[in-house]
Amino acid sequence: MPTVIILDVSLSMSRPVQLSDGTETTRKQMAIAGINAFLDHLSIHSKLEFISLMAFSSLYEEKCPFTRDYNLIKAELKNIDDYDKTCIETAFHGVNQMVLGEWGNNTACQIIMITDGSTGVGSHSLKESFATLNQRSATNQFPIPFSFPAKLHIVCVAPSNDPNLIKSKPLYQRLVDLSGYDGSISIPEHIQGEAAVVTIFQKLAEDTYTSFKGTLKCGNLESKIILSPTPVPYNKATDFETQTLEISNLIEVCGFISVSDVGSPMAVSRHLILPANINNKENVSNEIDLTDDDATDEGKNPSFCVLLHGALKVENMTALVNLGENWFGFVYSYADSKKKSNLMLTILAPGSDVVPWLGDLNYLAASDTVLPEQVGTFPVRPSEKRSYSQNGVVWIRQAGLQSDIQKILRHARKLPEKTMHFYKELNRLRKAAISLGFLDLLNGLAAIFEQEMLQLPGSAHPDCALQLQHAAEVLRKTQNMDIKYTVMPLQTNYTSS
Amino acid sequence: MFPANHKTIFVLDHTPYFGISCENPIEFEFLKSRTPGYIPMSPITKSLWTSSLESAIEYCRIVWDLFPSGKLVRFIASDTAANIINTWSSSQQNLMHIMNGMSFIGIPPSAPPSSRSPPLDYTILHGLRTAVEAATEYTDMQQEKAQQMDGPVLNRCRVICITSARDNDSMKRLEEIFLSVLIQQNKMVSNMERNLKIDHCHLVVINTFPVNMESQVNNHGPINLSSILTTEVHSIKAPLIPHKLSSLILEHYSLASTTVTGIPMKEEQNASSSANYDVEIYHAFGAHTAILKGGSASECRAIREGHDYETVTLKWCTPRGSAGTELQNCTAMHRVTPVDVNSRPSLCLINFLLNGRSVMLEMPRKAGGKITSHLLASHGGEIFIHTLCTARSVLEDPPSISEGAGGRVTDYRITDFGHLIKQNTLLPMKAAHIEAGAPSIAKMKTRLNRHTRYWPLTISSTVIFNLKNFIDPMPALITKEKISDEEVFACKKVIYNLISLESKMEPLHQVSSGQRVKPAKREEQYKAMWNELETLLKNNLHTENHRNVYGCLLECHKFNFNEEDKSEKVELDDALRELDQMTANTAKSTDSEQQRASVIRATTDSPMSPPPLASIAAPAFSRSTSSNQNSRQSGSALYSAQPKTLLDIFAAQDKSKSRPDFVGRLNSSGDGQVAKLYPNFTGDDRGPRADASIEA
Repeated sequence: MPTVIILDVSLSMSRPVQLSDGTETTRKQMAIAGINAFLDHLSIHSKLEFISLMAFSSLYEEKCPFTRDYNLIKAELKNIDDYDKTCIETAFHGVNQMVLGEWGNNTACQIIMITDGSTGVGSHSLKESFATLNQRSATNQFPIPFSFPAKLHIVCVAPSNDPNLIKSKPLYQRLVDLSGYDGSISIPEHIQGEAAVVTIFQKLAEDTYTSFKGTLKCGNLESKIILSPTPVPYNKATDFETQTLEISNLIEVCGFISVSDVGSPMAVSRHLILPANINNKENVSNEIDLTDDDATDEGKNPSFCVLLHGALKVENMTALVNLGENWFGFVYSYADSKKKSNLMLTILAPGSDVVPWLGDLNYLAASDTVLPEQVGTFPVRPSEKRSYSQNGVVWIRQAGLQSDIQKILRHARKLPEKTMHFYKELNRLRKAAISLGFLDLLNGLAAIFEQEMLQLPGSAHPDCALQLQHAAEVLRKTQNMDIKYTVMPLQTNYTSS
Repeated sequence: MFPANHKTIFVLDHTPYFGISCENPIEFEFLKSRTPGYIPMSPITKSLWTSSLESAIEYCRIVWDLFPSGKLVRFIASDTAANIINTWSSSQQNLMHIMNGMSFIGIPPSAPPSSRSPPLDYTILHGLRTAVEAATEYTDMQQEKAQQMDGPVLNRCRVICITSARDNDSMKRLEEIFLSVLIQQNKMVSNMERNLKIDHCHLVVINTFPVNMESQVNNHGPINLSSILTTEVHSIKAPLIPHKLSSLILEHYSLASTTVTGIPMKEEQNASSSANYDVEIYHAFGAHTAILKGGSASECRAIREGHDYETVTLKWCTPRGSAGTELQNCTAMHRVTPVDVNSRPSLCLINFLLNGRSVMLEMPRKAGGKITSHLLASHGGEIFIHTLCTARSVLEDPPSISEGAGGRVTDYRITDFGHLIKQNTLLPMKAAHIEAGAPSIAKMKTRLNRHTRYWPLTISSTVIFNLKNFIDPMPALITKEKISDEEVFACKKVIYNLISLESKMEPLHQVSSGQRVKPAKREEQYKAMWNELETLLKNNLHTENHRNVYGCLLECHKFNFNEEDKSEKVELDDALRELDQMTANTAKSTDSEQQRASVIRATTDSPMSPPPLASIAAPAFSRSTSSNQNSRQSGSALYSAQPKTLLDIFAAQDKSKSRPDFVGRLNSSGDGQVAKLYPNFTGDDRGPRADASIEA
């Protein structure tokens, strides 16, 4: 996941530090050495991570945008100046801006703040920020929790017995807690040597970039996999509860659904499924490699992932996978614009009812495992129609009522051919008018019908006048104010023939 | 957590006053334009009752379209008593029920003659009191949660009251009475198990009046009258209630408005031309979070004309090809409902979507240009707005799967796995059958397990799956949970057919797979085929009938590891076993014997001879001796326990009197009979190379 390194460049960071070997350096220099060590670790273990660098004091400055080229950051670290005081809130606003602009609100990020244990002074100090936390207006919200899923790690280049640090540590902890995900606070044992600082950075890199290692399984076929980026625990909040859930290491295929049936459901996150390099000896005995070539070449050992990918792509299908207790996802072939195709995992929100049109995911079955009358088809339809497919009556705007009346009159002029339509529309309107207590409308409509009768052209069918007359009479009768009553066409000589 | 919008109660004024007209006549222009002999009609106007009722119903329409469950609304009409239209039960939470209920209530009663005594007590307070009682009732969901959490849930609710008050004082009194009712009711239910005390209530009073009047009641925004009651008052002319409610609903349910602009529509009159229309939709606010948080949507946000809320304008992007056939990177998805459900543009858009087409929406970019930010699509008769990821992806420039482990293997059994996929395609169970049984998805996993008991990944690692014309339908049948007698017969037929082919020495033609597989010798092919078939069947012994098929295979084809089972049928083998035991001691060392056996088999094996000390699971017929040796060693336990074939015995016996060994071996002194190559070649060394060769 992308990482923002925010480095405190306030004046206090340039305080001299006496090292045990007699030389002198500054906290900033030690921090820079630490960041370099962090980047070195990543360049070996997590080459695909995006890192950016931001410097902050009372203002913030994006020193290096998100990049996979860590040397750019290292180069940037060489020319960092000293500025005024620490202001953490401003820096976090900057982080919010920067991440939202680049990755949107859905990508989980790591934020590593490197400071020296001071939390600023005056109105923009962290203490002050917390004091006013509940008095913020909508435009001036505290930047934490961040607008995206974020883990906050705070690294203090200060000895653990630093009085400043002792005071600010609870404040740091509050920041980490507020961020909502399990972040950390790292403090070196001492700062009498660069090594102590470098060590905590290396440890941070190791802890934060553990890759997800799991197994993708389909019956007896399976493949060791790595998910990239590593999935983060999901905070599920509903009207009645919140839960934090983590996906299981075993990703098990439950069955298959065509891509068009799946639609595009909401995803918590998406991950590349990379087959992990496995030891040959773990291969199942009945899959002996027949090629006599060098068997140590990983690319040449069959992997279930590749087979699954190929078949899903050809069939245009997705595999429904179980990611944990009552938690599902889809595995499918994904190609970016460069025609490089890969296996992708889309993680749905936890729960079996998260995709309304697929029904309850726990109750899907292959057609021949259950009785034919028990299975339906995709998409699953809700038991009730929505208002827009119900042909309901809405007269809030006058136009709605006008067009309903016009429709009846259009049918009226084409009587007797449109007798059925005429009465259908008439009954619909009448029923709604009664429910809404809009009796004026019924009398008004009766008057309109009578008007129409008088204005019928000579060519009109004689049935036309009779039906209008009949409808007007029925509408006026107060005893017919029951919605269960239906206005029926008048039986005439013309209609019977 | 525990939002107030879980429980909403509409209290509508049904007193005689609400029978009066809004004084806002509906125009019928289309009637006037006709003949000159037109007699003006008496104007049609809605009553206050009709106006307030239709607004409340519209509010519900939006709520229930967007949230089919979990957001409950109740209706109470108040005149001389409270008329309860529906309960919290989900069966009564639909428009049909409300409309029917309202038709029974009818129009507000006409004002009673003032002489009557005692005067009838027409007031909204009956309704409000009942609303508070209703709010203390558990909903199904609250009941469920309370049981789960083993304690009471937070009970928040909202009461929306549409009434008409004389002045600020009477409005204030109304709020105060409501608060005291609330406190009283809470006290009353505090020791009742069946009811929930109200933790917080939001009272929204809409004070309404005909258009030709001015209100004496002032608006006020939310005020906390107490820790459990927040009230607000809106005075508004009757025809404008819907406007007010639509801006309130956005707040109450955190909704947002999107205006889809530039929808091309054919004109009714002039079908050849098209004009562009706008349609406004509501949906949960979450659909906009991505674009609003990024701050990139400032260009498309504007206050909706005539209303007091913002709408985000997104441009219709005429669909090209089929957006529905791939999985979009969708970060959020929410139901939508048109604001003006019956207008022609709305209907057009709805029908377009309900017919299964989908449309992308574009947002102008700050830096210029556009970006597709949303997708509108219907699924199962419901329309959704999908928020697409507009930001950069961390999956940028991913490696191709062909670059990873297993990526360079080219003969995966893709087509066969495609069949497996089709066989295991999921369908939904009908609602009526869901309650009945355990989740069926667990059964699917067992089923997949069964289907893949023996499933080689590549074409080159299998024989039988490349011999479909001989083997089918056996693989499909044998992996079934149960097989019928006919299916057993079909499987046996496959076996008999193979036996007869083998006896006729027919070559087994592989289905052309496009793969270059080394053509194997006929005998080896049969051998590998039988072994693999045995593996397949042995891995699929699910029922007695499955075992029946496996038994048939063992009977028909001799696998020498299973002779004990069948011994009485094969006397020859008995005899040979005895022979073998006699000669077993004569073999010098198993090591050399194995070497010999393999050498001989390679040259003298015939299809009529029993298969070699078969490795059960090695379809690796085309692999050379080295793999055979491996499998032999792995199966050595079997080997030693079992009798040898005649051929092996022959080979073993023959060995002692065989041709003389190589001179070099005879002369060598070492135990391993290693002869030094070129013993006389001791010429002058020219470098380290010579050393190496000597050591070897």
